[in-house]
Amino acid sequence: MSTIKEYLSTDHRRCDELFANMEDKVSKSIESAKEEFELFAAATEKHFQMEERVMFVEFEQKTGMTQGPTAMMRHEHAQMRNLIQEMGSAIDAKDKDKFFGNSETLMILMQQHNMKEEQMLYPMAQQHLSAESQRIVDMMQAIVVE
Amino acid sequence: MDFDGLSVDQAPPISAPIRFFLTAPLFGVLAGILIFLSDPQMLTSRYSIEAITITHAITIGFLSFVMLGALTQMLPVLAGVKIFKVDMVAKISHLFLSLGTLLMIFGLMQDYSKLILASSLFLGIGFLVLIIPMLIGLKSVANITASVRAMITSLIVAFIIVLMGVHLLSSYGTGKFSDIHVLLANIHSVWAVFGFAGVLIIGVSFHILPMFYVAPRFKRFCKQSVVWLITIGLLLWLVLNMFLDSYTLIAKIWIALFFWAFATTVWKKLNDRRRPISDVTIWYWRSSAVFMTLGSFAWAINDFYDERYIVIVSILIGGGFILSIMLGMLYKIVPFLVWFHLNAKGYMSIPTMTEMINKNLAKAQFILFIISLVGFIISFFILSILPIFAVSFIISMIILEYNIVTAVLVYTKTMKTKPDFDMSMYSMKIEG
Repeated sequence: MSTIKEYLSTDHRRCDELFANMEDKVSKSIESAKEEFELFAAATEKHFQMEERVMFVEFEQKTGMTQGPTAMMRHEHAQMRNLIQEMGSAIDAKDKDKFFGNSETLMILMQQHNMKEEQMLYPMAQQHLSAESQRIVDMMQAIVVE
Repeated sequence: MDFDGLSVDQAPPISAPIRFFLTAPLFGVLAGILIFLSDPQMLTSRYSIEAITITHAITIGFLSFVMLGALTQMLPVLAGVKIFKVDMVAKISHLFLSLGTLLMIFGLMQDYSKLILASSLFLGIGFLVLIIPMLIGLKSVANITASVRAMITSLIVAFIIVLMGVHLLSSYGTGKFSDIHVLLANIHSVWAVFGFAGVLIIGVSFHILPMFYVAPRFKRFCKQSVVWLITIGLLLWLVLNMFLDSYTLIAKIWIALFFWAFATTVWKKLNDRRRPISDVTIWYWRSSAVFMTLGSFAWAINDFYDERYIVIVSILIGGGFILSIMLGMLYKIVPFLVWFHLNAKGYMSIPTMTEMINKNLAKAQFILFIISLVGFIISFFILSILPIFAVSFIISMIILEYNIVTAVLVYTKTMKTKPDFDMSMYSMKIEG
């Protein structure tokens, strides 16, 4: 049984791996990096949705905090989606400089975002939702990305 | 909803760290000018007024400014700490530290006791006004990670060395030196280098290296124990230094060993990093690992030469290790802060991080900096060539200031325009 904190933190590492694979591929040949980009983008989008559609909702319902940390995290997800989109169009345009400019920015934004989640939000969520932890992890696992 | 403060909620206003980052290179330039104007012979002794002045132009004016500025930004993100009235205390701290450092330099140079006494007061206030709220904020952290523990340790050491520093400096003002002046000066410098800066760097790198470069994570043992082991080493060194002076080498080797191990680990982790990008920040991490390795050996070996080469050790560790890392981090933090704060304010069509600072200028700055360091070491043996490397150091610091200003100008110029607030960004899929 994994806790919400463990499950989502592990998923961060998975996204980091896919991010590194994608950058590695782009640095070698941006023309054939579309697949790696799609893998990363899909995994990240799934992670966002696991949080936004399951964990954040449960957390907000339980704590009544809708304008607190989850609102901030949603906002940062939006910032990251925007950068990922820019990276996608850079790959389509075969523009390496534009790609790495955006990927570098995304990397730092993503890491400090992850840190805030792992240091603060996840422990808070785990504390408030410990009784329903397994159910929430199962729901997140089962989510179909929209 | 207040978008303006939303994602930046936990982060301080950009002005809090940036004011420190913009000032640091200017003290670097000042230090360079002081080196240029000094009698090189005087700089071969750590106790000459020139050496003390120049050292503090760098250690306070540059290193402490960057560390304090970075801490205002890192404490909220790494530890979830909200520093009490961060914008105000950062402003006060910055003002007092800037004035204090200048007064210290000119007071010591001119041997003007009132200036020296004023500077010790200003520097004490400048440091403590920021260190104390940070420590208070850290007290309430529930989730104590290895990095948080390192930051607490580092700031406690900082608190102690500041008090020692105030005392030592005021002794120059009053002209009355206590019997333990040299002993205190020794503790002050060793704890500042290894306890304040060293432990902070190690603690932060646990996060930074795996995160920014997707390097392998540090081993649990390393994260859990290295800060303790270094602290024990520093305490052991203190006790031996006070009571069993002839055995201090044992503690030195103990401390040096862990820093050398850290340097080697950094090098290996960078080799094994998953991100292919190699930029100036990587170069700085690598150079700091090399200098730290040389510095830790030189520090231990120096004991056999009656501490004759302590100035070289200081250049290797203070300049090569600590300063290198600070410089590398500035190149990451400043563009990110500019991007992050603009983006959070609704400016979407802004340059990316990598476009804010000219890469070639960053490389030129790095190369000049390394040449200066190597030159300073050679100058220890060939005194006459010191001014050449003082000039290269000054130029490298001017380029650094230019690079930082360029990024900050992106911020100020963009802020004068209307935000192209792209609301589509916020139409998130909240419900399924």
